[in-house]
Amino acid sequence: MPPFHIIDPTRLAVELAYTLIVVFLCFTIYYKTREIFDLTKHKGIKYFRMTFLFFGLAYISRFIFFLFLLMVITLDVFYMRHIFGIFPLVFIGYFSTIGILSLTYSILWKKLHINHTFSKHIFLIFNIIAVLISGIAFFSRSPFILILAQVLLLIFTSIIIACYILSNWRKTPRLYMLYILFFLFWIVNLFVLGPRRFLSFEIQIVFQIISIAVIGIIYYKVAKWT
Amino acid sequence: MKRKRDRLEVIYDILKIIRHYNNSIKPTPLLRYSNLSSQSFSEYLSELLEKGFIKEIIDEKGRKFFTLTDKGFEYLEKYKLIIGFIDEFEL
Repeated sequence: MPPFHIIDPTRLAVELAYTLIVVFLCFTIYYKTREIFDLTKHKGIKYFRMTFLFFGLAYISRFIFFLFLLMVITLDVFYMRHIFGIFPLVFIGYFSTIGILSLTYSILWKKLHINHTFSKHIFLIFNIIAVLISGIAFFSRSPFILILAQVLLLIFTSIIIACYILSNWRKTPRLYMLYILFFLFWIVNLFVLGPRRFLSFEIQIVFQIISIAVIGIIYYKVAKWT
Repeated sequence: MKRKRDRLEVIYDILKIIRHYNNSIKPTPLLRYSNLSSQSFSEYLSELLEKGFIKEIIDEKGRKFFTLTDKGFEYLEKYKLIIGFIDEFEL
C-alpha cells in the first residue's frame, strides 16, 4: 500500500518553493500584459491574461489544500478535512476550470465566429461550468472526482484545439504543445492532493521542474513583447 | 486582393494619419485617408475618443480638429509589440 503523507520539512519546502515560483510567474504574466490589454482591449489578450490570473489563484488554493492535508494527517483530526479542507478544493476546481476555458477561448475566439451578444456572456458560461465542477468537488469531497472532471474538461478542450490546429497547418503546433503540457502538469499536480502518493517524491520533483520550465517558456515569450 | 484590416490595424492607421499631419487634422481628410466607410469611420472615431487615444479640438473659428493624446502616441509606439504578442500567442 502506498505510504500516507506525513509532515516532511523537505516535502513542505519543495511544495512551498514550487508554488511560489509558479504563482510568481503566473501573476507576472498577468501584470506584464496589463498595459497592452489596456491599450487594445483585445479579447484574446483579455482571456490569455485571465488564464494566468486564475491558474495563479488555483496554485495558491492547491497549496492551502496541501497544508490542510498535512495538518489533518499529522494532528489526526479527520473532521477538519471535511470542514476546512473542502473550501480550497472548491476554489481549486473553480479557478482552474476558468483558467483552462479562458486559455482555450483565447486561441479559438476568432475562429468560433460567436455573435456579439453571445460572446458578451461567454464569461458567464465559463462561470457556470466552473461552479458545476466546484460543486462536484464540494459534494464529493474528493480530489479524485475533481481530477476526473478536470481530465474530462482537458480532453474536451484539447480536442477542440487539435481540430483548430488541423484546420490551420500554417500555424505552428509548438504553442499548442506548450499549452497541453501546461494543462497536463496541472492535472499531475492535482494528484498530490490525494491522501496517498501516486508518484514518488523524486518523480514529483522532476514533474515540478518540467512544469516550471513550461511556464517559464510562456513567461519568456510574454516578456519578449512586453 | 487586399486583405481586410483588423480592428487594431485600422486604429493604428487612423492614429498614424493624425500624427503624420502634425498631430492635427480635420475630420473630412481623416475620413478620406483612413479608407473607411463613413459609418465605420464614425464608429472608430467614437471608440478612439472614448478610449482617450485622440481628442477633439475646436479652434477660434469653430473648426474641428483631431489630435493625439499621450495614450494615442503610446499606442503607436507599442503597436509593433502588440502585434508581435498577438502573433506569438495566436490570440
